[in-house]
Amino acid sequence: MSTSFSLYIPRESGMHRLHPLTKLALVAFCLVLGLFLPGVWLTYLAFMLLIVPLAAWAGVLPSFLRAVFKTALPVVISVFLVQGLFWPGGTPILHLGPLSLKQEGLQFAIRSAGRFITVVSSFLLLTFTTRPDGLMLALSQRGFPNSIAYIMLATMQIVPRFQTKANTILDAQRSRGLETEGNLLVRLRALLPLVQPLLLGSIIDIEERAIALEVRAFGRPGPKTSLLVLHDTPAQRVLRWLLLLAMLAVIGWRLYLAIAPRLAA
Amino acid sequence: MERLRRDFSTITLVMIPVAIAINIAIGQLIYTLKVPLYLDSIGTIFVAAVAGPLAGMLTGALTNLVWGLSGINSFYTAFWITGAVIGLVAGLFSRFGWFKVWWRAIIAGVITGLIAALISAPILTYVNGGVTGSGTDVITAVFRNAGLGILPSAFAQGVSSDPLDKAISFFIVWGVIRALPLRFLDRFSRAEDIR
Amino acid sequence: MIRLGDVTYFYPRATTPALAGVTLEIPTGQFCAVIGANGAGKSTLCYTLAGFVPHFYRGKLSGGVEVAGVDVPASSLAQLAGHVGLVFANPFNQITGARFSVREEIAFGLENMGVPLEEMATRVEDILGFAGLRDLAERSPFALSGGQQQRLAIASVLVMRPPVIVLDEPTSQLDPIGSREVFAVLRDLAATDAATVVLAEQKLEWVAVFADRVIVLHEGRIVADGLPGDVLASADLAQYGLQPTRYTQAARAAQAAGFRADRDDLPVTLEEAVEFFR
Repeated sequence: MSTSFSLYIPRESGMHRLHPLTKLALVAFCLVLGLFLPGVWLTYLAFMLLIVPLAAWAGVLPSFLRAVFKTALPVVISVFLVQGLFWPGGTPILHLGPLSLKQEGLQFAIRSAGRFITVVSSFLLLTFTTRPDGLMLALSQRGFPNSIAYIMLATMQIVPRFQTKANTILDAQRSRGLETEGNLLVRLRALLPLVQPLLLGSIIDIEERAIALEVRAFGRPGPKTSLLVLHDTPAQRVLRWLLLLAMLAVIGWRLYLAIAPRLAA
Repeated sequence: MERLRRDFSTITLVMIPVAIAINIAIGQLIYTLKVPLYLDSIGTIFVAAVAGPLAGMLTGALTNLVWGLSGINSFYTAFWITGAVIGLVAGLFSRFGWFKVWWRAIIAGVITGLIAALISAPILTYVNGGVTGSGTDVITAVFRNAGLGILPSAFAQGVSSDPLDKAISFFIVWGVIRALPLRFLDRFSRAEDIR
Repeated sequence: MIRLGDVTYFYPRATTPALAGVTLEIPTGQFCAVIGANGAGKSTLCYTLAGFVPHFYRGKLSGGVEVAGVDVPASSLAQLAGHVGLVFANPFNQITGARFSVREEIAFGLENMGVPLEEMATRVEDILGFAGLRDLAERSPFALSGGQQQRLAIASVLVMRPPVIVLDEPTSQLDPIGSREVFAVLRDLAATDAATVVLAEQKLEWVAVFADRVIVLHEGRIVADGLPGDVLASADLAQYGLQPTRYTQAARAAQAAGFRADRDDLPVTLEEAVEFFR
């Protein structure tokens, strides 16, 4: 799996052994919590009490937290700086030279950061615990188009190769004197001799790959079987339905909170 | 209907992963070169031009989903809508022959960029707290300081980068289409629209 | 059984035909090699047998193409899959990318054909052994050498058990080690008689070893057709842009110097050369 474009870590954990759709349902539930929980602090609770324990159960906690930190940090810093310091007409609570930290901005930043961290960590939870091919198979078995499943899996395996190709072309152009440091215009001009070979070089590949797929009966209509076997349990099926209901409940609650004041008025 | 079926031939299906890979490879290369652009939709725009708006939509949306779910840039996942819209709009422009002439392609790019900024702004506002975590947030700060709301500021930030980014991307795709051998273009359902 | 009746084909926008009046009958189980200079029409012939001419490349095809009882131009590519297998030169482009292990990659075609799990598992297991890929079964298809990837491509097609298999210069993009690995598999394939095989090749030394029959294509026409020993030792090869094997060249040079000048059965393989020079 190391040659594919994914941070997936295979482990022998209970979480990993779950059916892909169960994991998807869990992640979707975390996502809904992140997006729809009201207030400022509830998303942090969701993160600490649901997402982190799931990651720990999956045995991926250190890498997971590192990835969450790495992804969330730029946005979190930015939201505190931009919305905290530049909230128009806000109540200043701290003065930093010509700027001041506003209370409304701070509150907004805390709420946004909580939401962002929860959303991002939900996606990462899926990435770290779910085999892409298992997930695609589970979806295909329930009517998801085979062609889209193929596209996603093939992309994951092809991306590293294209990254290498892009770097190779870059090095080759550099050794031919292409300037890649310096001012913006220089760097921009470095682009064209990079993009063209990358695109044009893929053309013949595309034709042959299409032929190879046809040879392997990819265009054949009718039901397909699978060498990979997924294991599901009745308990997980029930859990998935419960999670779906819970998601709807959270969304409903949030809608209610948004609409109710208007109804009362 | 016939065109729809031809739009999604096996060759289109094979081209989409390649286009997505090109999106991601170039996008990450641009980041390494520290050029303040994205250039992560060139593959999407190309597919939209040669295989139509629906194929373009699929390419755009899946780029964000694969890139996001790979874990490398997981917040891109939420912007699948923007990716899909870029593919859709580029495909529509192509349908009306805007890829035939270089300056029309650039105008199409600018308009697509504006639409992309428009679609991204609400997502940025709701999920990201109105910021991107990159240098363009300075622009957001300026507009916030001037009294603009979070959503309009996020949109202003988008307008400062997206139209230029898409204009350049459309131009590059126009260039590539011109350099392609005719017999390759013939395979695609939209060949008459683009050359 | 393969039957081509007066087949002529023009690629789109082409003024000269890639195949001109090709009539050919290949009996079931035969291993038939097709040789010719670059541009002679070998690849076009391969694609015609597999139906990609005309369904993929379009253009103008006239004449009849019948492969294992199926009218190829009248069938769709989806119908032909599993009926005619095709392997071509670039090993990387034949990896679907949709599967993460060699084993699953081989099974891909069977999955698309809806073959039941148990039968699929058995067939994949057998083919892994046949192609010498058993040790690599759990590896990613992208972590293989060129020769291994090409053996994977052949295995992935063979596992579908098509009555006809067409190979278009399968070793031309491989290093010598990879070529040798692939030819070993082809030699085993030739020995089984399980399918009718058409192999387009430039490496005449190998062709001589396991082909039952050799056909020479020149400018889209069949100009020679017969046993390897006859066709490959023929003096006409040069005018078709081909070079005879080292063994034949050595024997000719010896004959020019007076050695065994009376013999007309020149060697085309190592064994025959050893016999000739004894």
